[in-house]
Amino acid sequence: MQRLIVLITTLMLAACSNPRQEVTVQLANQVLLPAHQQWQSRNAALLDSTRAWCSGDQPLASLEQAFHQTQSAWSRLQPLMVGPLSEGNRSWQVQFWPDKRNMVARQTEDLLNEFADLTQLQLEGASVVVQGLTAFEYVLFDEQAALSDNRGRYCPLLTGIARHQLALSNEVLALWQQPDGMLETLTSFPNGRYANADEALGGILRVQVTGVDTLKKKLGTPMGRLNSGVPQPYQAEAWRSRHSTENLLAALEGAQAVWERVRSLVGDAKLVGDIDAAYKSVRDKLAALPAPLMNMVQDKANQPQLQSLYADLDALENLQQTDLARHLGIQIGFNANDGD
Amino acid sequence: MSLTRRQLLGVGAAVAGAATLGGWALWSGRGQSPLLLSARNDDAGQHYAVGYFLDGRRAFATPVAERCHDVCRHPFLPLALFVGRRPSRESYLVDLRDGTLVQTLHSQSQRHFYGHAVFHRSGQWLYATENDTGEPGRGVVGRYRLDSQRLQLIHDGEVSSHGVGPHQLAWLPDGESLVIGNGGIRTEGGSREEMNLDAMAPSLVVMDRHGERISKETLPQSQNSIRHLAVAADGTVITGQQYHGAPWDSVPLLAIKRPGEAYQPFPVATSQLAMMKQYTASIAIHNEKRLVAMTAPRGNRFFIWDLDSAATLVDAAMPDCAGVGAVPGGFAVTSGQGKCRYFDCTGGAVQSHWLTLPDGWWDNHLWLG
Repeated sequence: MQRLIVLITTLMLAACSNPRQEVTVQLANQVLLPAHQQWQSRNAALLDSTRAWCSGDQPLASLEQAFHQTQSAWSRLQPLMVGPLSEGNRSWQVQFWPDKRNMVARQTEDLLNEFADLTQLQLEGASVVVQGLTAFEYVLFDEQAALSDNRGRYCPLLTGIARHQLALSNEVLALWQQPDGMLETLTSFPNGRYANADEALGGILRVQVTGVDTLKKKLGTPMGRLNSGVPQPYQAEAWRSRHSTENLLAALEGAQAVWERVRSLVGDAKLVGDIDAAYKSVRDKLAALPAPLMNMVQDKANQPQLQSLYADLDALENLQQTDLARHLGIQIGFNANDGD
Repeated sequence: MSLTRRQLLGVGAAVAGAATLGGWALWSGRGQSPLLLSARNDDAGQHYAVGYFLDGRRAFATPVAERCHDVCRHPFLPLALFVGRRPSRESYLVDLRDGTLVQTLHSQSQRHFYGHAVFHRSGQWLYATENDTGEPGRGVVGRYRLDSQRLQLIHDGEVSSHGVGPHQLAWLPDGESLVIGNGGIRTEGGSREEMNLDAMAPSLVVMDRHGERISKETLPQSQNSIRHLAVAADGTVITGQQYHGAPWDSVPLLAIKRPGEAYQPFPVATSQLAMMKQYTASIAIHNEKRLVAMTAPRGNRFFIWDLDSAATLVDAAMPDCAGVGAVPGGFAVTSGQGKCRYFDCTGGAVQSHWLTLPDGWWDNHLWLG
């Protein structure tokens, strides 16, 4: 009798358990929310550092370090920004890329020429182009700004941007954690957004695949893939801080964190091996780049190395977008990507 | 009121068509769950013209060679044209009783379809927006006559759409005047690539069905492509735009032309506009309840507003929401990626529930009735 009860209990548990729901809940609690929290805490640290440097209490190197960490948290978050951050034009307020016409430099200087002692209100009313990390990077690293000699001109802007970023991340985090917020939406089904865990998992994977596609663009654009092969070094993300490669690695890490959880749902050992290998290959090749991306793309001798990296990234994208999506029965895109 | 010769011919054609279709003089799905017609794909990329009853039963799924966009129903025969999506040169006339492909309609030389068409109320004529690829972007409205003996649409001429890149068209309540969204974008035959994003010329045109222009109006932003529209029983026109300027610009993605008034932005909250990712897809009007519904698939957002007060009734997250159509109790909405939904507007607050239709792969428009 006892054995029968155990058997029935086991069968009931098996029937109740839903691996996809478990993975979705894990992703929400252990990957997505922590990545948003990390981004928020880096923004808080950036504001502290900005204030400290502007008041002369910290060396510039410390501010640069805080900026890199914020940029890195943001990069890692991009393949994970399901929900509020991807909505309402919020992400444009964080980073302005691609900047095809050097709008960041021009608009930043124009803004400061117009408002010598910039207030937070004036910054909030300005274009997204000057509200985010790309404008912060311009001020911090561009020779034209010569920050150390112009602390008085730029500090109101730097502080304003850091404050804006912190407020934005606080708002997004609240939208995650409030009752009926994004966390609940990804962990309790059905709800107003998702009928079941499959839909939510599909939503997470779509964002992750889009994140990998963005990685490809961030590599391919400076390589000149959209420009008849003519390199465009100033189209590299974060070219001013020479941190393009670090950002790409952080974004790859974010994408891989999703795959690490989804892997358990894949019954095809070859597909698992192929995706694992693709991540490793892209990571190794990125880490092996000997110089900043904007320098690499300008030397023809580096083309084979960069092309090989791009091909691996392309393969990774296809494996996830086509093979993995088909294996899981999850649809990556239709009208949203290709409507009319 | 006596019948004119033209009306008599129309009746004759209808009877002849009904005879060809096996005696179904006035086909309707009365007593059944509403029928939903749409273009749809499967996960292998095969395109279909499908009919599903709203309760989830499949009426038909007819494989077609090219992806379609909108569907136009014949006013009384069990026929619908599934219109080829830009830059398709094929549309498909389907017998709704069993999904039989009655005709593959080919566009004329140097013309392609834009995904939208309408049958005239007589049932004899069909009008489709088309691109003159000899002069890319020059909008034309192709006119087709339904040969009621053979149940074939035959090209019978064309008129200008009075604009560039026409997209959706619809009848005004008189049944003789067409309102057309000229998207303003120039594309070449065989391509979907926009050629004139810096010099777009979108417009909302009203003309009679013989091509005579009655009005032509624009919105302030030249990069705001006027694409989709719906007409209320009182003649109010609502249009949905797709903006090709900066992603963070706040522009009117919904606009309204009330009878006798100028075409102008519909008062949508800035926060709602920001959720649409500059892209609107399908619009439906509920005449009895005076509501307008709209899908924004890139923003994964579905909305219902009061047509008169512009008050928001629904602002809901819905993955890749695609086509929307009105039924007496509310709106049905399909999805390109997830579950289809029904929004019940019969009570105080709008209630939503999931439909048992297949998940995902629905194109951006549907016909429901």
